[in-house]
Amino acid sequence: MTRPNFHPCAALLAILLAAGSAAAHADMPAWEKELYDAAKKEKEFTVYTAHYSTEEAANLCNAFEKKYPGVKCNFVRTTAQVAFQRLQQDMQSKQAVATIFSSTDVSHYPELKKRGALMQYQPHNLVNMVDSLKQYNDKDGYYDVTAAALMTICYNSSLVSEKDAPKNWTDLLDPKWKGKVSIGHPAFSGYVGTWVVLMQKLYGWSYFEKLEKNQPQIGRSVNDTVTMLNAKERWVAAGPEATTLLSRDKGNPLAVLYPTDGSLLMVSPSAILKNAPSPNAGKLYMEFMMSKDAAEVQVKSHALAVVKGVAPAPGAKPLEQIKVVRPTEEEIAKGIPEVKEKFRDTFGV
Amino acid sequence: MSITVTKPIRAVPGAFSGLGQRWRHVDKSSWVWLLAIALLLLLVINPLLRLLVVSFQDANGAFTFANYVSAYSRVRHLEALGNSLLLGVSAATLCVAFGVPMAWALSRTDMPCKGLVWVAILGTFIIPPYLGAVGWILLAGPNAGWLNRLFIALTGAGSGPFNIYSMTGLVMVVACYSFPYMFVFVKSALDMISSEMEEAANILGAGGLRTSLSITLPLVLPAILGAFILVFLEAIALFGSPALLALPGRFHVVTTQLWQFFEFPPRVGVAAAYAMPLLGITVLLFWLQRRITSRKGYVALTGKGGERRMIALGRWKWALLAYCMAVCTLSFFMPMVVICQAALAKAWGRGFSFDNLTLQNLYFTIFENELTRTATLHTFVYAGTASLVAIGLALCIAYIVNRQLVGNRVGNVLAFLTMAPFVIPGIVLAIGFYAAYTQPPLLLYGTSWILILAFVTRFLPIAYSNSNAAIRSIHPELEDAVRILGGTRFTAIRQVVMPLLKRSLAGAFILVFIPATRELSTAIFLYSINTQVLSVLLFDKSDEGNFEMLASIGLVLVFITVALVLIGFRLMGRDFMLRRSPT
Repeated sequence: MTRPNFHPCAALLAILLAAGSAAAHADMPAWEKELYDAAKKEKEFTVYTAHYSTEEAANLCNAFEKKYPGVKCNFVRTTAQVAFQRLQQDMQSKQAVATIFSSTDVSHYPELKKRGALMQYQPHNLVNMVDSLKQYNDKDGYYDVTAAALMTICYNSSLVSEKDAPKNWTDLLDPKWKGKVSIGHPAFSGYVGTWVVLMQKLYGWSYFEKLEKNQPQIGRSVNDTVTMLNAKERWVAAGPEATTLLSRDKGNPLAVLYPTDGSLLMVSPSAILKNAPSPNAGKLYMEFMMSKDAAEVQVKSHALAVVKGVAPAPGAKPLEQIKVVRPTEEEIAKGIPEVKEKFRDTFGV
Repeated sequence: MSITVTKPIRAVPGAFSGLGQRWRHVDKSSWVWLLAIALLLLLVINPLLRLLVVSFQDANGAFTFANYVSAYSRVRHLEALGNSLLLGVSAATLCVAFGVPMAWALSRTDMPCKGLVWVAILGTFIIPPYLGAVGWILLAGPNAGWLNRLFIALTGAGSGPFNIYSMTGLVMVVACYSFPYMFVFVKSALDMISSEMEEAANILGAGGLRTSLSITLPLVLPAILGAFILVFLEAIALFGSPALLALPGRFHVVTTQLWQFFEFPPRVGVAAAYAMPLLGITVLLFWLQRRITSRKGYVALTGKGGERRMIALGRWKWALLAYCMAVCTLSFFMPMVVICQAALAKAWGRGFSFDNLTLQNLYFTIFENELTRTATLHTFVYAGTASLVAIGLALCIAYIVNRQLVGNRVGNVLAFLTMAPFVIPGIVLAIGFYAAYTQPPLLLYGTSWILILAFVTRFLPIAYSNSNAAIRSIHPELEDAVRILGGTRFTAIRQVVMPLLKRSLAGAFILVFIPATRELSTAIFLYSINTQVLSVLLFDKSDEGNFEMLASIGLVLVFITVALVLIGFRLMGRDFMLRRSPT
């Protein structure tokens, strides 16, 4: 048997790393150190999240554990409605499992707040947040935006040239796209629901009556459009920027285009639950989500950074250069149930 | 087939008190039956009852009919119900056309390449239906499907004839992934029939075809009916494929409608109410099945010996092989090509090309991703445990019902209860489980047992249909012989029934194990951080539009499961064709 050889460089590196983390620890402001120490006593916490892909959720947890060693970050990644259903079941059976609840369906939060299920907390790092996103935080501090993404026009670049691609949402109504458009279903996807509300707000319901003449293909989730474009079954889509760019990163012939009448901004808050088993770790996680460490992980998978001064991954435009639009929270809450019915009248499903 | 009862019959000891006398005459086995019934009540009645309660509750828990009103007052909701019934009946019928000839070919004829066909059927069964559906979108998508492009290239026509986004397409895809039920059911029934009856018909002058249609086929009718019901129920409870194919085809089925009740604000009560008539349909189907089969005898396995001989088909064996291969091509080979292409591609949207090939997806799935590894282990452990429990329980119940140990009426109720879980769509059933197992005395949430019990309950119907068909085909005279000779019921079961059932049980194990490895709808609500399973991971990948990883995990699942099944049969001392091992 040979003795394991320690390379001197490795040893040096280890010392540097240890010193680095100690330095980082020493750098912490008093409030952060206090939270961290309290969180360490709680040992671990669980996030119910619908925000990211499984890999990204794992990467965020890893980054958290690296920044705050000794606090274990668990996550259950699923779709928004499944996450909500599970949380509801937990509450009914009086089991506190989740510390953080991160849904993509904004209507979950006012409801949970009304029921007194959320904990009030004003993160210190809120000052880092992109100003235009601050308006979507809860004014009473029960939930804050920790993820943001765009819905844009996406197309298969092997079938459509950039010149010919639709430039705005109404271009999708052009008869030249007949049988070539792919969209999701508002009853199955919060993204699509919000998009339908936005289109109705901008162009009236006649937008969808005209769109129906173009025989769009209706999938379930907004991500189904990525599959349809890749399969060349459809050429253009109202789709998700992040998933499309992720698939493009692998080499798939996809591209996104920011419509001149505005990309739809989707914001997704997170909240600490009132009965959180690890309240301090929860607060620390909220702080972490508004730090550059988290933002750098997020932009790698093409999510938008919610904090200032973090450049987007190559291929995406920085948020301040994109025209974004979003219906008001009231329009969304009132509009989604209404457009689901209208959608079914117009498209038959 | 010859049965030898080797166990010496115990001499009855002499003097006993009156109580002892009575105790001796009590059938001790009844405790086992009572236990089995109790377990059934716990596993089935508990969640179903809670579901029934929920369907009559409003948000505050007060009694209401409002859920039923909102579930059935819309024409749309009724249309979806109608579509589901059409889908169920059509898919089950197509499964008869696919599965019965193949079962006959593999069980009774000298058709060549049986091993290949069997592996293809096994593979078909393992592919998660939604992965198969995505494969079929690539094959028969109306605009860019490979088959359509091929058709256009060959004929010069303007557009291809295939459209997977239609009821026909959906029926075809559902049938492709459900016909293995039909195949295994019918094959295990055929395996039990000795050639004597067929030979008798031959001697009396009937030709091969006539013998098969008038002797063999009627004898396996209970198996065909059982599988028909199973496929029908599976088809109406399926979510993945309808979500992919029905929505673009612009129609709804029960499950896509049901999913909408879970959109915010979730209306669990309405969902429960909407699922209730499916229970009614199940009752009706069982009643029909009993009407059709009750007046005839289907016992094929009696105490007299019998031998099975393969029917020599001559040149027809090639026609039969062609048919089997055609079905396997539809269900397995073609979708598998698509899945392999995606799993081995850097970017599947680029299609076939050498610089697009990579092993990275597979490597990542198998070696780098710890989540996939632990989930794979969990999947197989849970599915294996659940299969064993389900088959044990189902056998007990089937035995109780068929030997009328509890009276006819109770037997009917037991049979219905055993089959009921299948018809409640998994997503709704999961709510019942959650309600049942997160409160004392059964605090199982967060443990692997909640998943295992859910799988047991969910696939109990499959285990039951199979055990039921198997036990029905064994004549009670075999056990009576043991009992007359003084053996207990247990002796009869252990020494006579079990050895005869071994082969059917191997089939039943596959039928429960495989769906349990791909079960999604209950798992997604019941898994927790430490009990991840593959089906949930696969669903996430499809939700994330990550088709390369989806296909890789699917491919790994298919390979591991096929390998496990083959190794399992080797260990059990039989070859993978389920042929009788030489004794």
